[in-house]
Amino acid sequence: MSRGGSGYDRHITIFSPEGRLFQVEYAFKAVKTAGVTSIAVRGKDSVVFVTQKKVQDKLIDPSSVTRLFKITKYVGMLVTGLPADTRAIVQQARQQAADFRFKFGYEIPVDYLAKVLADKAQVYTQHAYMRPLGVVSMLIGIDEERGPQLFKVDPAGYYVGYKATAVGVKETEAHNFLEKKLKATPGLSYDEAVITAIGALQSVLSEEFKAADLEVGVVCDGPEGGDRAFRVLSTEDVDHFLTIISERD
Amino acid sequence: LGTSIIALTFDGGVILGADSRTSTGNYIANRASDKITPLCDNVYTLRSGSASDTQAIAGYVQHFIAQHQAEEGDQVTVKTVANLVKMMAYNNKDFMQAGLIVAGFDKHGGGQVYSISLGGTVTATPFAMSGSGSTYINGFCDKYWRENMSEQDAMEFITRALRYAMTWDASSGGCIRTVTITAAGVKRQFIQGSQIPPTYGELPRQQVVA
Repeated sequence: MSRGGSGYDRHITIFSPEGRLFQVEYAFKAVKTAGVTSIAVRGKDSVVFVTQKKVQDKLIDPSSVTRLFKITKYVGMLVTGLPADTRAIVQQARQQAADFRFKFGYEIPVDYLAKVLADKAQVYTQHAYMRPLGVVSMLIGIDEERGPQLFKVDPAGYYVGYKATAVGVKETEAHNFLEKKLKATPGLSYDEAVITAIGALQSVLSEEFKAADLEVGVVCDGPEGGDRAFRVLSTEDVDHFLTIISERD
Repeated sequence: LGTSIIALTFDGGVILGADSRTSTGNYIANRASDKITPLCDNVYTLRSGSASDTQAIAGYVQHFIAQHQAEEGDQVTVKTVANLVKMMAYNNKDFMQAGLIVAGFDKHGGGQVYSISLGGTVTATPFAMSGSGSTYINGFCDKYWRENMSEQDAMEFITRALRYAMTWDASSGGCIRTVTITAAGVKRQFIQGSQIPPTYGELPRQQVVA
């Protein structure tokens, strides 16, 4: 097959002769350059996500490094990929969520926010003036009508809801782990969901984590719920779960 | 909003108090209105003047502060919120009639009260009042207000002051609503009109027999 095309199909987002968008594919590769893996799990009344807190430089202040972001009181976002693009998409998400609340008078549903971000991402795959963002975002929240929601948005402009998912270096291994786990026990409780997520990360990375190496974000309904608000677990909370996992093993 | 609104700081936080009457001329459009509006978790505002103008300002400030709160993570300071309200009032001064009192609690400055008058002036004071009813209680407040009261004394002072304002001002009345903001959070209270004790010179209710 001869190689037609103007030769720019790798440089901007236009189709290659085989029907591929190279820039979008490269964006997915850029996500992996972050060198971390993130995992999210949906339970029957909660959604949790966890990621590695990798601080390469000893001089960096770890408290200023985070990939978990509160978009509204009820929606949390975990972004994996290029750090600067992370900030850009978080800004967009916060702006969209605030505008929605102001205009329509109620909190933005998670799936709607995911759709908005995905549609923006799609525009970058068609316009020559902007490159796609090198990040994959996971959004969690408890929807008033549909219950716990987990959505993932990627540079291609694709978004879909998940029962559990993973992003990053070890995402394939993580997906296999999660498929087996969720098939065995559907309908996880909040504690089980957190343990599954952290356990999956430990398993695919073959590492024993300390609380300082992890960032965990949750939304939870029900008695210990905390009114469905998104929160990042403290070091003590994470330690509590790590202890349970190590005692179980 | 012909109104009586008061806010003051006490030892540990702020209390905001308001009447509940919204009138158009002599007609009382709403006898149980809520003039105490949250701008964010730890900062509330009391609204006087045009109801629509103050609702619009509150809506915009809620919108901007929600984003600011998501970014900052920590508690938003009362001063920041008051500043935003001032910007709205000042930049639109030709089109609005809005007198707001912004009060709240943050861990840096404790309880704070900011009064924002018609043109957009901001004054930070330990005690502030506004609305048509406030003119009738200048003497009372002058005599009975003390700095750093306890929560109970402050509550008694506010309800008493509002009671007088509501008695003398035709545009104020209904019930007394209060909101107390401290480090522990926000507490709303409500005193029904029938439970407001009559003022000096008024006949107690049992004695009014047709």
